[in-house]
Amino acid sequence: MFLVHTLLCQRSNMAACTRRTRQMLGLLRILRNFPQNERLLSTSVLRHNVASDGPPKFTPPSKPVIIDKTQKEASLRRFLSPEFIPPRQRTNTVKFSVERKDMIQRRKVLNIPEFYAGSIVAVTMTDPHVNGSLNRFVGICIQRSGKGLGATFKLRNVVDGQGVEICYELYSPRMRKIEVLKLEKRLDDNLMYLRDALPEYSTFDFDMQPVHYEITGDVPVNPLKVKMRPKPWSKRWERPKFNIKGIRFDLCLTPEMMEHAQKWAEPWRPYDMLKEYDTSSLEEQIFKEVQENLRK
Amino acid sequence: MSQGNIIISFESAWKYLTSLRDLRAPIIQGIRTHRTNTWWDEHLTEDNASFLKKVITEEYKQQTTDKLSPLKDEPWPRHEWVEGSRRVGLVAVKLGMMPVWTKSGERQVVTMLQVQDCHVVKHLSKEEYDGHTAALIVGGKNVSPFHRPEGYLEVFRNAGVPPKQKLTTFCVSDNAIIKPGTPLYAAHFRPGQYVDVTAKTIGKGFQGVMKRWGFKGQPASHGQTKTHRRPGSLGPGGDPAKVFKGKKMPGRMGNIYDTTHGLKVWRVNTKYNILYVNGSVPGHRNCLVKVKRLTHTHTNSQVCEVKCTCPQVEYLFEGEGSAFIFSASVFTFSSVKLKKELCTVLSMPAQSLTLAR
Repeated sequence: MFLVHTLLCQRSNMAACTRRTRQMLGLLRILRNFPQNERLLSTSVLRHNVASDGPPKFTPPSKPVIIDKTQKEASLRRFLSPEFIPPRQRTNTVKFSVERKDMIQRRKVLNIPEFYAGSIVAVTMTDPHVNGSLNRFVGICIQRSGKGLGATFKLRNVVDGQGVEICYELYSPRMRKIEVLKLEKRLDDNLMYLRDALPEYSTFDFDMQPVHYEITGDVPVNPLKVKMRPKPWSKRWERPKFNIKGIRFDLCLTPEMMEHAQKWAEPWRPYDMLKEYDTSSLEEQIFKEVQENLRK
Repeated sequence: MSQGNIIISFESAWKYLTSLRDLRAPIIQGIRTHRTNTWWDEHLTEDNASFLKKVITEEYKQQTTDKLSPLKDEPWPRHEWVEGSRRVGLVAVKLGMMPVWTKSGERQVVTMLQVQDCHVVKHLSKEEYDGHTAALIVGGKNVSPFHRPEGYLEVFRNAGVPPKQKLTTFCVSDNAIIKPGTPLYAAHFRPGQYVDVTAKTIGKGFQGVMKRWGFKGQPASHGQTKTHRRPGSLGPGGDPAKVFKGKKMPGRMGNIYDTTHGLKVWRVNTKYNILYVNGSVPGHRNCLVKVKRLTHTHTNSQVCEVKCTCPQVEYLFEGEGSAFIFSASVFTFSSVKLKKELCTVLSMPAQSLTLAR
């Protein structure tokens, strides 16, 4: 009986809940008088009533679960947005903590979801020149840069045959809504090479429907390797400095050219101790702090 | 010195240290002797050194807390603001920069200056200073006394304040003098005021004429022989037959005091004592910086000196929750009577002081 009652409560609001509880309790009081139902309904309320002659003890109704339809289910992954991690600098930690407070304050108002370079995002911004109008742009996130309040992300799309890239600031007060249409990762962190790739890889429909993604588990990695336009490119993507894994080099470059590009390899880089930056402990600390403050 | 924990008195230890420092002159004149300078740690055991460090930190804390209460340490009388009076400034630490957005959506960049342990250290009257205006010497960040000369530490001992890393002089009118030992906080400035910030610029070393003075140099190609970044001609020819003094030439660039004028204060965080000042400020991160009120009045009415008593509400960047939060950790007073005492210290009217959670 109580299971049914709680289920009902979930769907209805508080007022209806209390009404139903009263109804239930009333029913129970009536049923109490019929001893043959005692075995069928083995509720604690009945037993208490049988033991003591006083009025039935008030059991508060179970709390209703409020489903906030405006915010999609928050991801249950341990994801800390990269702009929270402070850069490797000789800055006072007070500066980062004060800035983090501002960022958390902004996040309480605007929901900034989890997304990576390679996910398709739709952004709604207010127009500064026209009062009250909103601009919506859909694109693939090619880069997430900047730390702290000035963190930015670039969205790329091809509109009417023209490639368009817009750099948005995550914490700008003009941002109205950021929604992730398709959450996925690519083989690289930086997809600037899409500028020199065939336009089909950067075209996304503005009316694209959001693709369902799991809240738990790993983020799906799209192992897509992109076909490039003929050279010259804006940057020499084959060089080891960019460390790109998401381009089909075998279709556009000869093995000799690939070997020639390896001349710019810097094999000592992974062993450079001065460039080491272990953020694991910092990340954990900051993640805890952010989660704690967001819940307040 | 025996082993184990020796509890020596602070006074005797200090006398010992200062005596060591005076052994600088050679014993016999005229003979080249090796200088017998010692550092404070050299002849002490580890226990004594750690004890001294502990004692010093405790003493600092005691001194700061003594100066916090305006009841124990009676401030000098407060005077009314008069047109043309000049207030003290502050010494702050440059933390870093961050963006700030206005209500209309425009983005500005802001430098964060944290006021760490700022105390007024000395008052120089008109006669002592230059004959025209009185001066107040203000000190910045706390620093250890062990590697500083005796004469430097004496000034702080007289004021009853821990030794500071940076000392600056502020020319101040007679109605704005403050008793030595009073702490100064970021709330000294309000959002909407304009400040001048002075600091030592980042040293660039010996630099060429293009970087140092912004010369255009010569073209990269079209027949230039070994001349691409040179200064070119040094002046007119035979008539003066000399190079004028002050000719811009290569040399050491940076590491000199420079001032940026007319920077607007966007925000004041009173919990951490941080001033958010518009634009960029000379100096590297964590450098000490002198912040004072704008002296040069521009013709543009927006930048004119604002009457320092009441804050202009329209300049306040609304929507900033922490703009005026006086947290309990900074000021531990809650009663109205003590609030009035506080106001005399900060030289601002009682109505503008709000104590919020």
